[in-house]
Amino acid sequence: MPVNDLAAILPELLLVIVGALLALADSFAPALRPRFGLLGAVTAIAAGLLRWLVPLPGRVWSGALLVDPMARFLDTYVLVAVLLCALMADPYLARTKARLGEFYALLLWAAVGAMVMMKSDHLLVIFVGLELLSVCLYALNAFHTTSVVSLEAGWKYLVVGAFSAAVLLFGVALLYGATGTLALGQAAGALAALPGSPLLLAGLALLFAGLAFKLALVPFHAWAPDVYQGSPTPVTAFLSVVPKGAALVVLARTVAALLPPPATVRWTLLLAAVAVLSMTLGNLVAIAQRDLKRMLAYSGIAHMGYALVGIAAFGQDGVAAVLVYVAAYTLMNIAAFAVVSAFSEGEEEPHLVTDLAGQGWVRPGLSFALAVAMFSLAGIPPTVGFAAKFLVFRAAVLDGLVWLAVVGVINSLVSVFFYLRVVYYLYMRPLPKRQPQYTEPLAVRLVAGLCAVGIFVLGVLPGIVLETAELAARTLTR
Amino acid sequence: MLLSILTLTPGVVGLLVLLLVPRDAVRLQRWAGLGASLAAFAVALLVWSRFDPANPGFQLVEVRPWLPQYGIFYRLGMDGISLVLVLLTTLLQPLVFISSWHAIKDKVKGYVVAMLLLETGMIGAFLATDLFLFYVFWELMLLPMYFIIGVWGGERRVYAAVKFVLFTLAGSLLMLVGIIYLSWLHHAQFGSWSFAYEDMTRLVIPMGQGFWHSPQLLLFAAFALAFAIKVPVWPLHTWLPDAHVEAPTGGSIILAGVLLKLGTFGLLRFNRTLFPEAWELATPLFVVLAVIAIIYGALVSWAQKDIKKLVAYSSVSHMGFIILGLFAGGVAATQGALLQMVNHGLSTGALFMLVGVIYERRHTRLIEDFGGLAAVMPYYAGAFILTTLASIGVPGLNGFVGEFLILAGAFRTQRLAVVLAATGIILGAVYMLSLVQRVFWNPLTNPANEKLPDLTWYEVLAFAPLAILMVWIGVHPSTFLSISEAAVTRLIGG
Repeated sequence: MPVNDLAAILPELLLVIVGALLALADSFAPALRPRFGLLGAVTAIAAGLLRWLVPLPGRVWSGALLVDPMARFLDTYVLVAVLLCALMADPYLARTKARLGEFYALLLWAAVGAMVMMKSDHLLVIFVGLELLSVCLYALNAFHTTSVVSLEAGWKYLVVGAFSAAVLLFGVALLYGATGTLALGQAAGALAALPGSPLLLAGLALLFAGLAFKLALVPFHAWAPDVYQGSPTPVTAFLSVVPKGAALVVLARTVAALLPPPATVRWTLLLAAVAVLSMTLGNLVAIAQRDLKRMLAYSGIAHMGYALVGIAAFGQDGVAAVLVYVAAYTLMNIAAFAVVSAFSEGEEEPHLVTDLAGQGWVRPGLSFALAVAMFSLAGIPPTVGFAAKFLVFRAAVLDGLVWLAVVGVINSLVSVFFYLRVVYYLYMRPLPKRQPQYTEPLAVRLVAGLCAVGIFVLGVLPGIVLETAELAARTLTR
Repeated sequence: MLLSILTLTPGVVGLLVLLLVPRDAVRLQRWAGLGASLAAFAVALLVWSRFDPANPGFQLVEVRPWLPQYGIFYRLGMDGISLVLVLLTTLLQPLVFISSWHAIKDKVKGYVVAMLLLETGMIGAFLATDLFLFYVFWELMLLPMYFIIGVWGGERRVYAAVKFVLFTLAGSLLMLVGIIYLSWLHHAQFGSWSFAYEDMTRLVIPMGQGFWHSPQLLLFAAFALAFAIKVPVWPLHTWLPDAHVEAPTGGSIILAGVLLKLGTFGLLRFNRTLFPEAWELATPLFVVLAVIAIIYGALVSWAQKDIKKLVAYSSVSHMGFIILGLFAGGVAATQGALLQMVNHGLSTGALFMLVGVIYERRHTRLIEDFGGLAAVMPYYAGAFILTTLASIGVPGLNGFVGEFLILAGAFRTQRLAVVLAATGIILGAVYMLSLVQRVFWNPLTNPANEKLPDLTWYEVLAFAPLAILMVWIGVHPSTFLSISEAAVTRLIGG
């Protein structure tokens, strides 16, 4: 049914087409360049509306894509991230004299990659989506072409990304060898016939390793700080949320299909161990960071550890918790990066936390948004960060992993130390003698404000996002 | 609806001030803070008039779905225990605004907003009857206090603020795991999700074998740690002197007056009711810690050179009495502990207020810098001495009633502890009276003290309600004891 198939991927089509038009318009109508950011944002909104308007047919494209409540939740989250990043990108690009259509084209295409990847339970489609996402990001990382650190970030992400893709693909090949199929749903049936096959174990391990690279989980995390620091800040914001959410969802799908509950004890322990390592290392090393973007990179490593707690717990509660976590993480991370992008004088400079001294009383709006993001990342109520952590830890306790929840809350305590340091610089340090000349572009204020409001609204009323997430989780856990 | 209005009025006004009032409109901000806190006090009095003291259960109950699929509801309810403490909270808050009217000159807006949000957190924590909601309000108090200490505090304010946050969170995060575990237990035993306090009281929590395999002991420990840090129970008290001394006067009043009470309130409300067997087992431990706190706090107070530090350490000693009363069991001791929570809030709040008064004038708090103030500032001296007498438990004032009830109630079960604690009363008299001696009676040697102005009218206004209550409770304690009697009797009996 091709009409049905086409209707199901209308949002993706829209993004691909507008992306191409933006790339062309850059050459043919350069006068439109200041409008590109807005166009990208509007496209994201339109695609999101389309996703909520068109019916959800379920499996389309011969079963390659699953357009169900889960897809709707994930698309919404990716498109919100695209919207916020596109808005905050324009002032940044204007400042670095790189207001080019390609930027938004790559951004929209990267989003398509993530959306395809998250909608599929066919390993090859997942891989294609992942590559589309990654290739766009390689270029975006290095978009600030006059900056050595940006080029370095792009190069590093490329090398690590290619390596992890190869690992993942190798895992996929082994799984295919073991089960004779690339569809996760059918592989599950084939698996029951061969418990404990070494081929299968190696395949799963490599698949997990490939995803762990994308998630920057310990011990596959070393690339994150350099890439976060070097990439243009709006790209870092996008990079820190969208690929991570996508990889988490693929991980959840794999666990759901290939590791049915009775057989998962060992894998649960493995996931829990990686979660503990990521939380602990991420939080401890973040304490030592002086550069905000590096600090947020380590905090991101820790947060993927928290999210992995939800995957380790699994079940409908665990998956719903992970989905809420991803949504929460998007809001608070983008808020943080938006403010960081405004509170910096030169793009070549490190974004030192000391540069924030006293800004809380001079630039109250953006500072407050940054403080809210920090509280939310630290998981202090009534923010959405607390709601997400509560749900994840609740899932762990219900699954009998009380110790994992305890490790998680102890890590939260450690993390408070460096998140509050940002607040301390903002509000409790005097302004330096030479006052920094920060600009507060309207678009950045808008992004930070939207995120801060979202953090509070979803923190007080988490039911809004939780109900959709539960509906989505049900499709995965049956 | 009444309880929601009571809880949310300060916080909502605080948010409105944050969003709508311009930074320079300092007078409006101050009046908004005072107005909102007075409104909350008025509502609290209204709630008191609607309160039925014969009913031991929760009254004026409000239930609204929040995350109903997980058994999380917005549940507020009030019994005699929480009413007493809410009255204390709502009384102290306007006095804080009055006493810091001129003391806080910088960043007034932030101060007012933080104080109002803090008040909502405190009232909410007393009134929440859903454990999730309780936790949210409990944590809501954290950040405003962090800002109050860290922005408007003394020299070592940042150290004190971070220490306060880390200590408090260290306790409360484990409590969060405990709360989740309780809801899981409820699902296991009753087949439905719930976070409601009254549902939790029906749980049968297994004792198991040994500490690490005993759900009840572990849960008791998780909750008790959170509350013991807040109280603070010796040896978890080290955050308190830093926080109290560095906080601005208003912050110290609220910290000593209300925040510490949340610890003892939590022990009474949650640990005592939910984990009775573990409570029995832990009693000797807490009685010993309480006695250590009483004597240690008093001795350390005696050694202080700084008036504010002296008052801060005296809190450790006084809170030890309250812990002793709670764990001694019996209606009389528990009632005494509850009354002593109010008494300590009044007298220590007043002491911090008065220390703030003198600090505003002299910018020093060292005892040796003063002497002979009784002649220069007679009203101030009178206020200080009245509060001192209340604090050391002179009959006719409030402290005596509370301490007497605690010691008399505890005498049957904890004889040795009572004897040792009584020495703490003597030590309390020693350090407080020697403070009064050195500040007010010794010869006036320092010329800087000769021209100190006496209390202003608004300082009197801030102090007067506290003085009235000190005498009122001392003379006629049953006004307040009768509020909580039914609730405490049910709690002890069942």
